[in-house]
Amino acid sequence: MIAKFFTGKWSSYFSGTVIACFFILTLYILDSPTGMSNAYIMISDYCKESIHARAVQEPPFLDWQTGFLGGIFIGALIAAIFGGDWKLRMIPESSGKGMIASAGITVATGLAGGFLVMLGLQIAGDSFLGQWAGAIQLSTSSWVFFISLLIWGIIFTAIIAAKIAKSEIVEGKSDKDKKEK
Amino acid sequence: MHPLALDGNWRVVAGVLLGIVFGFLLVKSRVAWRKTLIDQLFLKNTYFIKMFLVSVSVGSVLFFFFEKWGLVNPQFRPVYFWGAAIGGLLTAIGLALCGQVPVSTVASLASGRLYAIWVLAGMLLAVPVVRVVSDNLSDTLSKWSAPVDGETLQAVFSSDQTCFWVAGISIMIALFLEFIRTDSEETEKK
Repeated sequence: MIAKFFTGKWSSYFSGTVIACFFILTLYILDSPTGMSNAYIMISDYCKESIHARAVQEPPFLDWQTGFLGGIFIGALIAAIFGGDWKLRMIPESSGKGMIASAGITVATGLAGGFLVMLGLQIAGDSFLGQWAGAIQLSTSSWVFFISLLIWGIIFTAIIAAKIAKSEIVEGKSDKDKKEK
Repeated sequence: MHPLALDGNWRVVAGVLLGIVFGFLLVKSRVAWRKTLIDQLFLKNTYFIKMFLVSVSVGSVLFFFFEKWGLVNPQFRPVYFWGAAIGGLLTAIGLALCGQVPVSTVASLASGRLYAIWVLAGMLLAVPVVRVVSDNLSDTLSKWSAPVDGETLQAVFSSDQTCFWVAGISIMIALFLEFIRTDSEETEKK
């Protein structure tokens, strides 16, 4: 039973219940908004100062959000090792193109996607985790954020999927033409 | 009764321990994987939305009672309606491209997915940009009138029992999604 808890896959119902309890526990222990938005801002400032001074600066003061961020790294590492999910990957598993093309796409989509995700979250006023915890507390803006995210996410994914399908058809056609020649 | 509200070094220790628990949860609940969020947006696998709805369903009821007993206080940042709506749009475009949010990026990196470093770099680059545009945004977005008024859904619907409605509707949608399980989920289950 305990071994299955660590190594097995969790159902969406179990995961959802555990995450809900986690948010309530965090509110009880810390009595402040859940999230790590400030930690990201602090790390970004630290990187900016180090680049500006061209020298590694003294690390910033450790607050609970930065500790939380570090804790996530440790917790995820433990879960991945125990569950057999730890895999060293330079490009995503689902990438179907060649090595160089995949690497280029990974860098471009990673940078652009990460930039937009953080920009959106900062404009929305909180981290993803903070919005999730807000939704549990029935915050109107968190619900507006998630509804907007879901609707636009599906629309843009559909656009990307249509583009990929179109390029695959064009590629398939040109390969066929080359073979015929 | 009142919240524990730790402070000083104990708060940092609690932050690290809660982080470890949440990092573990992220991997076990598969939110750490790029595929989970991408498949959700492609509507190939509804695991994430079901988990989200169940967490809202359980969490909102728990929060209602814990708040009544004085164990927790409402803690969320006040946000403008249009800020949330436009933020959701930008996050959606980013998510469709990279399939990661800040928490899952850290968990992905810890699980050996080194490609998440590019997402992390993009996120760190966005912070100074937000500072530059935030003054303009806060001036404009806050002036637009919001179609709904009220910080919480209870205030919007003028009912203390809103959490039970939200919990009920969320769990019904989750069960409906379970009922119309996609092929990819069927394969996963087998």
